[in-house]
Amino acid sequence: MTMRVVNHPVLGKLPEQNRITIRFNGQPYEAYEGDTIASALMAQGVKTLRKHEMSGEGRGIYCNIGHCFECRVQVGDRKVVRACLTPVSEGIEIHSLTAFVKGGQTK
Amino acid sequence: MSDEKTIVCRCEEISFQTISDTVREYSCSSREVKLRTRAGMGYCGGRTCRHMIDTIVAGINQEPIADEIQLSYRPPARPLTFGVLGGMQHDNESR
Amino acid sequence: MIDLLVVGAGPAGLSAAIAAAEQGLKVKVLDEFPKVGGRLLGQLHQEPSGEWWNGIEMGEKLHQKARLEGVNIQCEVSVSDISRTDFGWSVYTSVGMIKAKNLLLATGASETAIPLPGWTLPGAISIGAAQVMGNVHRVKPGNSCVIIGANVLSIAIANELMLCGVKVKEIIIPETGPVAKDAGVPEKVMASLMRLTHLAPNAFLRQAGKFGKFVSPKVAAQFFPKNGIRVLGIPIRVKKAAIEIIGEGQATGVRTVAVTPDGKRIQGTEQVTEADFVCIAGGLAPMSELASIAGCSFKYVEELGGHIPLHSERMETAVPGLYVAGNITGVESAKVAMAQGKVAGLTVAFNTNGASKKTEMLVKCALDDVRKTRANALIEFQPGIVEARERIYVQFEQERIAVKQAITVS
Ligand SMILES: Cc1cc2nc3c(=O)[nH]c(=O)nc-3n(C[C@H](O)[C@H](O)[C@H](O)COP(=O)(O)OP(=O)(O)OC[C@H]3O[C@@H](n4cnc5c(N)ncnc54)[C@H](O)[C@@H]3O)c2cc1C
Ligand code: FES
Ligand code: FES
Repeated sequence: MTMRVVNHPVLGKLPEQNRITIRFNGQPYEAYEGDTIASALMAQGVKTLRKHEMSGEGRGIYCNIGHCFECRVQVGDRKVVRACLTPVSEGIEIHSLTAFVKGGQTK
Repeated sequence: MSDEKTIVCRCEEISFQTISDTVREYSCSSREVKLRTRAGMGYCGGRTCRHMIDTIVAGINQEPIADEIQLSYRPPARPLTFGVLGGMQHDNESR
Repeated sequence: MIDLLVVGAGPAGLSAAIAAAEQGLKVKVLDEFPKVGGRLLGQLHQEPSGEWWNGIEMGEKLHQKARLEGVNIQCEVSVSDISRTDFGWSVYTSVGMIKAKNLLLATGASETAIPLPGWTLPGAISIGAAQVMGNVHRVKPGNSCVIIGANVLSIAIANELMLCGVKVKEIIIPETGPVAKDAGVPEKVMASLMRLTHLAPNAFLRQAGKFGKFVSPKVAAQFFPKNGIRVLGIPIRVKKAAIEIIGEGQATGVRTVAVTPDGKRIQGTEQVTEADFVCIAGGLAPMSELASIAGCSFKYVEELGGHIPLHSERMETAVPGLYVAGNITGVESAKVAMAQGKVAGLTVAFNTNGASKKTEMLVKCALDDVRKTRANALIEFQPGIVEARERIYVQFEQERIAVKQAITVS
């Protein structure tokens, strides 16, 4: 399933983009070059990006322009970025931040 | 509006109920309610919630919204990493 | 060293950079978004002439012009802190510290939220988020949506979402309360929609305005059809309020209730409207964080959308070497932001290169252009903008005099 807006009555046809593969929580997803992490995942119907640290409730993008920091994800080993501002690249490994549990472990 | 179920500060999950109870109990300013409840102290730095908190506080205290920015912004306006603070590079959001 | 560092590559920042570079200044622009253009990028309205205002094209034009003038633009860089030094400014960013003689803050506006139960669910997003997803990234956040908040921005974006192929099931209002206030009172909502009659940027908004042309908002709200009015196929229901966003794990719809013209719940009218995603449209507010760090004084001005840094008509703040332009000085359309940016860029050049008759004339023309653009604005986010701006300029001059006196006394 893709949610891409391919034909737009005013903006025209979506220009052909290079397809790349990204990984989110270990799963491979197809993305377009020029996507942000948030738009690439949204195009595949993925809306939940992280779990709230305390309550563990799912969270996704809210503002999509860098203001709310709700879309924080981990890229690689430790870098945390805003998914709505960060472009994808071939093979990028993205992980959800998870809730804290007792004893300092993560779920 | 169901007050307990309505979260105002998304980062810290602080409800409308908690904020309004605190303002009533201490008849306090936005800045004080922030320190008491942590609402507005999260990652967003006030960009999502400042206006809401100002409006709630002004409403309960029945006064106009103050000219000063009530949630004192403490730099950095964007959370930084140790790497960046130490003069290293690029990783702008991790803490 | 850089003569002018601009934070924000939106219409205001880019226009300022171009104007300053044309006067021979060395200019750098920073923006944290991956693409140049700021919030211009999502915009797509039809003008009364039938022509489309295409923000992506306009952003592209400004970008090219800036590059041609030798402006250095860097995206994906966040500014986190700024401090004044004896040479000007130290600006702390995600890629290290940058020094500049002058600093222009053109950080734009952020959306104001209206909280309700369930709004933290994935799939509940701001109306601007949906605009950027659809028009900039060309991705639909879902196939169907409900929009909470009936205002100029939400109606314009509803139309844009429809062009992206999203079924907008309905535009409803938030339930009135300590945050939503008048946005949840049908007669007040009608009053503000009716203001759009002659300003309406496209047929869509014109129709919404037409409805209340000859009656008072109160009467209009009273007789507003229960099923709403349909504009280009999208029902606007100003007497239906959202009380909760529902869904397990992610948003799947909105629980609503019918309300009286003054916003009271009508018992036994609860319903659920299902949708793939839900948008919250609260409005816009100037984003003042960096100006606050820099030490500007502020005024809360409802007509301009919230807290704004005190500034002159020439876009100077009371802090030496610090300028502001665009929506940070009050929420208005992108065209006004561009005109303001030009004033700011020229003023910086004027103050840096030394006063000359020629630049003075350029500044005067640019100021004139701001006034004209404002007078012809199609989208006016709030009434009373012109008067509010005049007040601010007077207050700024008073403060400037007070500061000068304080300095001579001490
Ligand atoms: C979500 C949204 C939708 C809008 N839709 C419309 C519309 O449809 N029609 C209309 O007429 N107006 C709309 N507006 C109003 C819009 O603000 C103006 O039209 C215009 O874009 C303002 O121009 P600007 O240059 O002042 O700011 P912007 O265009 O907002 O540009 C500001 C830029 O600064 C950058 N920035 C901010 N803070 C930092 C930082 N700390 N570090 C680095 N970069 C930073 C941002 O990434 C952004 O690119 C919208 C505003 C928003 C917020
Ligand atoms: S969605 Fe708000 S910062 Fe990314
Ligand atoms: S929403 Fe929590 S700090 Fe703003």
